[in-house]
Formats: sequence, structure tokens, C-alpha cells
Amino acid sequence: MSVLEMTKIHKSFGSLEVLKGIDLEVKKGEVVGIIGPSGGGKSTLLRCATTLEQITSGKIVIAGETLVSTSHSGLTQYTDKKTLKEIRGKFGLVFQNFNLFPHFSVRRNITESLIHVHKKSREEADEICNELLKKLGMADKANAYPCNLSGGQQQRVSIARALAVNPEILFFDEPTSALDPELTSGILKVIRELAEEKMTMVIVTHEMAFARDVADKLVFMDGGVIVEQGPDIISNPRQARTKEFLAGY
Amino acid sequence: MADLYSTFTQLAGGLRFTLGIFFLTLLFSIPLGLLVARGRMSKNIIVAGLVRIYISVMRGTPLMLQLLLVYFGPYYIFGVRLADLDVGPFKYRFVATIIGFSLNYAAYFAEIFRAGIQSMPVGQYEAAQILGFSKAQTFFRIILPQVVKRVLPAVTNEVITLVKDTSLAQVLAVTEMFTTAKNLASAQVSVMPFIVAGVFYYVMNGIIEIIMNRAEKKMGYYQ
Ligand SMILES: Nc1ncnc2c1ncn2[C@@H]1O[C@H](COP(=O)(O)OP(=O)(O)OP(=O)(O)O)[C@@H](O)[C@H]1O
Ligand SMILES: [Mg+2]
Repeated sequence: MSVLEMTKIHKSFGSLEVLKGIDLEVKKGEVVGIIGPSGGGKSTLLRCATTLEQITSGKIVIAGETLVSTSHSGLTQYTDKKTLKEIRGKFGLVFQNFNLFPHFSVRRNITESLIHVHKKSREEADEICNELLKKLGMADKANAYPCNLSGGQQQRVSIARALAVNPEILFFDEPTSALDPELTSGILKVIRELAEEKMTMVIVTHEMAFARDVADKLVFMDGGVIVEQGPDIISNPRQARTKEFLAGY
Repeated sequence: MADLYSTFTQLAGGLRFTLGIFFLTLLFSIPLGLLVARGRMSKNIIVAGLVRIYISVMRGTPLMLQLLLVYFGPYYIFGVRLADLDVGPFKYRFVATIIGFSLNYAAYFAEIFRAGIQSMPVGQYEAAQILGFSKAQTFFRIILPQVVKRVLPAVTNEVITLVKDTSLAQVLAVTEMFTTAKNLASAQVSVMPFIVAGVFYYVMNGIIEIIMNRAEKKMGYYQ
């Protein structure tokens, strides 16, 4: 069963076509790593899948719900508000620069949407929060504010925040790029643990060794297209462009 | 000595109007300013354009002139009897003062709020959107509290200016503190009433500074 299906995705910013017909399928429990040079469209692809950008044409289905599709006549139409809200409850996104809410404590960062979007009771939300913080080794930081945490700790909170709604799929856009190497390994470990628990994930990363280890499928993107994909394209690249890119690492 | 005492009590009488103008103006101009700021940032170019003109006129002409216009406008333009415009126990001259001040200060507040809102990183909106917050929830729960912290120093400036600006209500013969001081000074042939009034204004602003400093400290728990 696939949790994410992106078909023939095109995305332009004005006259600049950034995604030129992307097909990507993510199965339940699968970890997909997306690699590629800067400007290749990796972030844009994630942003389209997570409703932050609207595609120009194509089809996106998340957890069985159609987010957007293009009809035969070429009309691209997004789903209604209600379904959109439902779909947004089914995935999480972890940003490169965390985007935590600075005026909320760690606890509130995690529970605010549970209470006010998903209408859970405060007790329920607190319980979910405590469990997640414990799992991520942050149990003692529930009442701290983001500005008093290290980058690694902030990223853990943002992962906890994304996990709180028990999403079907989790997207990461370079989750360790804003961290120094020491903190990076901690976050990578967290993601590895999620992979062991069979969390469905799509991870854009420049950490090649990590991508090779953790991903069931690797996707190499360049110039708005998927150049090649497969379970071992880092160890055995077939395309010249992929080899050239990997030679830089 | 008796003179000083009566100066004091009479100024305190005028202070009621000064405080009335002050608090009512804040009460109306802050929400209105927020609304104007939203209008100024509207995607609808007609709304944004009209609001832009409104702000420009409010900031580009003297508040005293605006007060006179609000007061005499209904009579000269529409032929309305001003006495008919009284609101309950409040004479229209006082009502017009509040309207004029509120419209004027809303324009200044709007620009402060707009700058504050636009200084918010887009990532805050994106994180909120992903988490499923509605537009209203995003604004009131995520954006506005952070904007308040960012604009507080600029707002403090405006509030302090407002305390002093209340003296402009004298053009509509509202017997606020400054008008009272002026009348007393000419009756007593003395500058004493002005000095006492000055002390009143200064103390008011001192209190405002203390309150706003506390508020800033209170919001200082995060960056
Ligand atoms: N909002 C936007 N408006 C216009 N162009 C954009 C916008 N966002 C991205 N682009 C362009 O789209 C292209 C792909 O950008 P994208 O951020 O998806 O690349 P990326 O693969 O994530 O790169 P990196 O590894 O540097 O993060 C770039 O040429 C970029 O300039
Ligand atoms: Mg990117």
C-alpha cells in the first residue's frame, strides 16, 4: 500500500520550471532518501507534497486522499478545505531550521495543535507530549523555551511536534544542515530509530552515508527530474550524472 | 497656598477628560489599527490602495485640523445640528475628540503593526499551516503574540506621545487638563498652573514607562 503517490508533477515559478514531471511513490513503512545537487528541486518537491506550494500540474495522493489532480482537459484542481485539513493531519514536516514557536514552551509547541486542531483534551495531549519527549531524550525539557535549547534539542522538539499527531508519513528537509557534526549524529540516530519502528519517511539530505544506511529507496534529483532511483544508487550509480555528483562526497 | 490647592483640584478635574481621551483613544485605535494594518497588506489592490491613502492623509495632516474637521464637518457638510450628535451624557465635542484621535492614532498604530507582522519569518506561518491551524488561529495564537513583543517599544513611543497630544483637544474647547491650566493661568496671572499640569503629564508618562518596561520584561522570556 502506498502512503504517497506523486504522478507527473510539474511545478513552475513564473517562467522557471523547477519540477519537470516527477513520479514518486512511497510505500507504507518505507524510507525514501532524496539526494542531489543544490537547486535540483528537492525542497520544492517536499513543499509540493506538504501543501506549502501548489503544483502546476500532476496528481498527489496522500494516505488514500487525493490532494490535487489534473483532469484530461488540463485543469489542475485542489481538494476542498475540509479534505485539505484532514490530509494535513496525516503527515508531518521537519524543517531544516526547526521553525519552532519561540513564544511557546516545548510542551506547548507539541500540544498546541493537538488541543486546538485535533480537539484532544489537555490531559491526553500532555500524555502524548510526555511520551514523545521521553522517547527523544528530552523529558526534562518540557517547560524550557526553544531559545534555551541547543540546535539538536530544538530539532528533537520539532520532530516530536511532527510526530504528535501520529502521522502516516513524515517529511524531512535537510534536518541536520543547520547543526554542527556532533549534534547531527544525535538527530540521525533519532531518525534511524524511527525507521526501525517502520515509520514512513521521506528524507532530503546531504548525508550520503546516512542516506545509504537508512533508506530503502534512494532518489537522485537534478534539474527538476529524477535522474535515477533504486535501493543502492549511492553504492552502484548507473547514470553518469549520479556518479559525477557522488564523486564530490 | 489656597491658590495652589484649588489649582490642583481644578486640574485634577481636567485630568478626568485627559484620561478619558487617553484610554478611549487606546481602546478604539489599537483594534482599528490592527484592522487597518490588515487592510494595508490586503491582496485586494483597491482595499490596499484606499487604506494607503487613509494612512497617508492621517499622518500627513495636523491632528488639530482633523479634530476640527470631525467636529465641524457634520454641520458644514451635512447641516446636522451638533447638539443632536451628543452621545448620552457626552457632548459631541468630546465624542468628536475621541473619533479624531482614534482615527489618527489608528493610522500610526497600523504602520507599526504592519512592520511587526511583516518582520515575522515565513517559517512560522508554514509550520502553523502544516500543523493544521486555521488562518485565524495562526494569526491570533502564533503571529500576534510575537508581533506584540516586537512592536512594544514603538507602541510605547506612541502612547507617550498620546498623553501629550491630549492637550490638542483644547481646539474643541474640551476642558481637559491643558485647557484648564490655560484658563487658570490667565485668571491667576501666574505660570503655576502650567507647571502643575506639566508635572501631571510627566507623572502619567512615568507610570506608562514603568508599566511598559514591566510588560517588556514579562515578554523577555524568549527571543
Ligand atoms: N519561491 C520560489 N520562487 C522562485 N523560484 C524558486 C522558489 N523556490 C525555489 N525556487 C527555485 O527552484 C529551484 C529549485 O529549488 P529547491 O529549493 O527546490 O532546490 P533544492 O534541491 O532543495 O536545493 P538545496 O539543496 O540547495 O536545498 C531553484 O532554482 C530555486 O531558485
Ligand atoms: Mg532544499
